[in-house]
Amino acid sequence: MSENVKEISAGDFETEVSGSPQPVVLDFFSTECPPCEALAPKFEALADQFKGRVRFLKIFRQGNKELATRLGVSGSPTLVFYKGGAEQGQRLTGEMKRSEIKQALEALLT
Amino acid sequence: MAVANRFDLIVVGAGPAGLTAAIYASRARLKTIVLDEGVPGGQVKTTHKVSNYPGFPEDVKGAELADLFARQAERFGTRVARAIEITDMDLSSPEKRFVLDEDEEIVAPAVIVATGAKPRPLGVPGETEFRGRGISYCATCDGAYFDGKDIHVIGGGNSAVEESLFLTQFARSITIIHQFGEFQAEAATAKEAVEHPKITVLWSHEPRAFLGDANLERVRVENLKTKQTADLPTDGAFVFIGMVPRTDLLKGVVPLDRWGYVETDDSMATPVPGLYAAGDIRAKQYRQITTAVADGTIAALAVQKYLRDRR
Repeated sequence: MSENVKEISAGDFETEVSGSPQPVVLDFFSTECPPCEALAPKFEALADQFKGRVRFLKIFRQGNKELATRLGVSGSPTLVFYKGGAEQGQRLTGEMKRSEIKQALEALLT
Repeated sequence: MAVANRFDLIVVGAGPAGLTAAIYASRARLKTIVLDEGVPGGQVKTTHKVSNYPGFPEDVKGAELADLFARQAERFGTRVARAIEITDMDLSSPEKRFVLDEDEEIVAPAVIVATGAKPRPLGVPGETEFRGRGISYCATCDGAYFDGKDIHVIGGGNSAVEESLFLTQFARSITIIHQFGEFQAEAATAKEAVEHPKITVLWSHEPRAFLGDANLERVRVENLKTKQTADLPTDGAFVFIGMVPRTDLLKGVVPLDRWGYVETDDSMATPVPGLYAAGDIRAKQYRQITTAVADGTIAALAVQKYLRDRR
């Protein structure tokens, strides 16, 4: 895994996401999920590209069910974007193109 | 961008058709690359288990079969490029050209497009909004989100009924919404679903809208016989109503039939010299793993002949 992607658990949500001074993208992933496997290399490449500007976090759905439910995430993978601790823009879910994610990240920075 | 990387054959789509084409081509010493926007396997990798692929007397997991296809192609020298996005291309010229991730340029005299098909959306209000917020198209991906929940499945063919049975291991109850008075699924599977204690079926019903606040809460259905509608509370909905071909690459390049599938001749050739199509993307009657691997075989053999004749 790229050193620019950090895996968190629900207990870290307040500090890592809500309290982050930098914009955040959070990836909810599952096992036995081909679109999650497909996303992983794109997510890591973008994490390297956006290093220092956007924090890339991922969280394992099965181990953090309550948080997923609280945020209304019911599909993997789902990318949720945050700025100043608040959710921003549209979530991306299922199969997604690298260019779509890049666009969402650039929107997050404007 | 660096100098273009030259291949004998570029295959687009790493499902059964594309990987089989790659196995044949690379064994024939063609320098072959297979492009995929995700990981290899196509629809097979989201199939829970496969029971009708010869050579596996016990069921094989779809993901495992997909991995075996890819490993076999790689063993003979095929490069399988994973998680790439095609950012530019030219399929019409004698020398076909692709740009991958705005970064790498590849060229080849022959291309096999085997991009397959993807789940067909229902096209009713609320479907896009609640995707990933209660609506799913992949049971193996999202089934576990619905542990102990009451969910709906839309459809009545093989996928809908088989995936409903798969979902019974998570959900508390499953209501299948089906437009006809009986399943189109195989008889044995249909019987198992009808008799399953967790499954009920709303025959002759169609979904009309998905409703909710932030997340999906209700599905509006119409009884096709009485024309009455009702809003049913739900924790989630899985849509399995067939597939649509992935022909984005080929629009305006080759003729498509009225359903959007690619027309080829018996050798999988399109009217564009050097451009072939194989697998579920083709206009044909039956779409199975076995028919996809047959298409891939034929396309790879036809490419070999095309390249020989060209010299």
